[in-house]
Amino acid sequence: MSLDLLRIAAALYVVATGGYILYFARPRHVLAARFGAWVLSFAFVVHLASIGLACKEFGGLEWFTLRGGFVLMAWLLVGAYLLVLRFYHLPSVGAFITPLVLVVLVPQIFGDGGAGAVARDTARNPALTLHVISAALGVALFGIAFGVALMYLLQEREVKGKNFGALFSRLPPLRSLDNLTQRLVRLGFVVFTVALVAGQFMAHKVWKGAGWLDPQQVYSVTVWLLYGAMVQLRHAGWHGRRYAILTMIGFALVMTSMITLRVVPGFTLHAGTYAPAVTGAPPAGPGGTP
Amino acid sequence: MSEQLDLFLVGLSHKSAPIDVRERVALSGDALKAALAELRAMDGVGEAFVVSTCNRVEVFVQASGEGPARHFFTSRAAQATEHLYVKQGAEAVRHLFRVASSLDSMVVGEQQILGQVKEAYGLASAVSAAGGFMSRLCNRAFVTAKRVRTETDIGRGATSMSQVAVDLVGKIFGDLEGRAILLVGAGKMGALSAKALRVLGADAVLVTNRSPERGQALADQVGGTFRPWEQLEDLLTEADVVIVSTGAPTYVLTQELVRRAMKRRRHRNLCLIDLAVPRNVDPACADLDEVYAYDVDDMQKVVSANHEARRSEAVRAEAIVEAEVMAFAQERETRAALPVLVALRKRAERIARAEAQKTLAIAGAGLDERGRRSVEAMAQAIVKKLLHAPTSRLKEAAVHGDDDLPGAAAALFDLEQEDPPPRTHRAGGHAAARTAASPEKTK
Repeated sequence: MSLDLLRIAAALYVVATGGYILYFARPRHVLAARFGAWVLSFAFVVHLASIGLACKEFGGLEWFTLRGGFVLMAWLLVGAYLLVLRFYHLPSVGAFITPLVLVVLVPQIFGDGGAGAVARDTARNPALTLHVISAALGVALFGIAFGVALMYLLQEREVKGKNFGALFSRLPPLRSLDNLTQRLVRLGFVVFTVALVAGQFMAHKVWKGAGWLDPQQVYSVTVWLLYGAMVQLRHAGWHGRRYAILTMIGFALVMTSMITLRVVPGFTLHAGTYAPAVTGAPPAGPGGTP
Repeated sequence: MSEQLDLFLVGLSHKSAPIDVRERVALSGDALKAALAELRAMDGVGEAFVVSTCNRVEVFVQASGEGPARHFFTSRAAQATEHLYVKQGAEAVRHLFRVASSLDSMVVGEQQILGQVKEAYGLASAVSAAGGFMSRLCNRAFVTAKRVRTETDIGRGATSMSQVAVDLVGKIFGDLEGRAILLVGAGKMGALSAKALRVLGADAVLVTNRSPERGQALADQVGGTFRPWEQLEDLLTEADVVIVSTGAPTYVLTQELVRRAMKRRRHRNLCLIDLAVPRNVDPACADLDEVYAYDVDDMQKVVSANHEARRSEAVRAEAIVEAEVMAFAQERETRAALPVLVALRKRAERIARAEAQKTLAIAGAGLDERGRRSVEAMAQAIVKKLLHAPTSRLKEAAVHGDDDLPGAAAALFDLEQEDPPPRTHRAGGHAAARTAASPEKTK
């Protein structure tokens, strides 16, 4: 049932993406962007209903799988973009964010949903819930920052290369894009910090101080440091093209870490089970590797 | 048959007449009102309105001939005669729609003209020179212009250097709030661009020039602050947009100078607009990160490209205009057919009533109330049934733009003798002037 709802949401996302892309191709059709925003909001609600149902069906265990993580992340991505729309009038950004949502979400609507191999007691731990939600939100914010940074690079190429064509007139001003990237990175960094602290807390609890040597921890701290450095670099006057490239690299790192840590067996200690691990043992269950 | 009123346009524009002729016939305000009243009072004129801008003076009259409109020009400037163009009927309608849609403008797609046509109509309407017909004509023109603006990209893209500068700066900085514009040199183009850029809300305009006197004069002119030439490097760190137009034969902003300034700016974006020929900004400056440099050629290229784009959009706009001209003509035909129908029905009802009365006077004595009503109803029914086919045919003809049938019907039923068209010069009486016998011609 939750999966059916998710499929409906995905179909609505496709429609919204169509609206935004039409608006981007023909900016005269302001209605297309407005339509896109409406459909996106509706899809967001349907997506939420699907998440709620999934919680009921799988007892909240689904979010500990890579698949569940992506579903949650796509939802947060849309939520974050809808929030951005409230403060910045940048409908053209939609043409970059909605396809990203589809890329994240569409692979998840095939096959069965299902619970992760996480013990119910572990899943009930508020620190773990906080960790999963804040991590997904952090990644979603970095995802939007990635889209906006891509737009910045495209627009910069047009402006610098004196190529005043279709992209030039459709993309927002460089400064707006730069400011938005910076704000998203800063916010993403704060949220990611929360995720990291909560994750560390969990690690200590279930692994009894297994320490800092787990690849997932090392990877996460690296990403955190990168974004932290970006927040600092901004104060030091970094911005524009270099900043946009860094943002994109950061997001690429986040995505590879998310995927490799879960997909490569035995790469990380908990492998998505958040269970006390025996070093060298294979992943505790199929839930860790969807 | 009474004389037919048709739409006539007599005018001259930037395409047909030089400025010294245009300025002799251009009118505004009270003078225009007086001229409209004068036009309206002339014999054979139903309605009139005049579009008078710096690029065109056009007189639209609904009249029996072009004479009154032509007189408007010849009475003001004898030499205007050779520059006049005259259009009639659908041609005149098309011309007005094209003008309102900015297809006939010097800069195709500019937005001012629609406002000017609206103003012209408002004025004519205020002095009762324009009535029902002009109201329908102008409203259709406004609808056409709106369609052209929303359905095509004819108004997109800057068509002047200063506008291109505004676009470029807008795409880099969004707006210029809290930022400064620096004007290097006292060139005229620079001052124009600086003025145009003020729409982006720059807090300050800084001016520097080798000669302090000229620099100060320019600063006063653009509402800026003059700063000595020696501070150029400091100024480059203060301002975000730099417009350079000096008469110097060499680079005033070298790459080295800009590189130093960028370091001090901590690489905040800098936009350099070089309006001088020979160039004053070293093209190598554009290689520096976060420096966006443009010269006259770059800007001119944008202007030409936009003109080209507007021309191709104009083709689509012409199709819209054509559709609206046809729709307007059809609407006129329908309206033209209506008076014939109304007159025909009135006549038939009158005959039916009269004949029923006659019959009742002779044979009605033996009839009760119900019987009398039946006789009246029968007379009406016969007339109605007889008129059913002609009525639908007339309506069809009107929809298809056939204006022969209403005329034929009027002649066949001898309608014009019954309802002779009153000639009136009152604006409000215009509708009555178009009676059954005088369907408006559009072709």
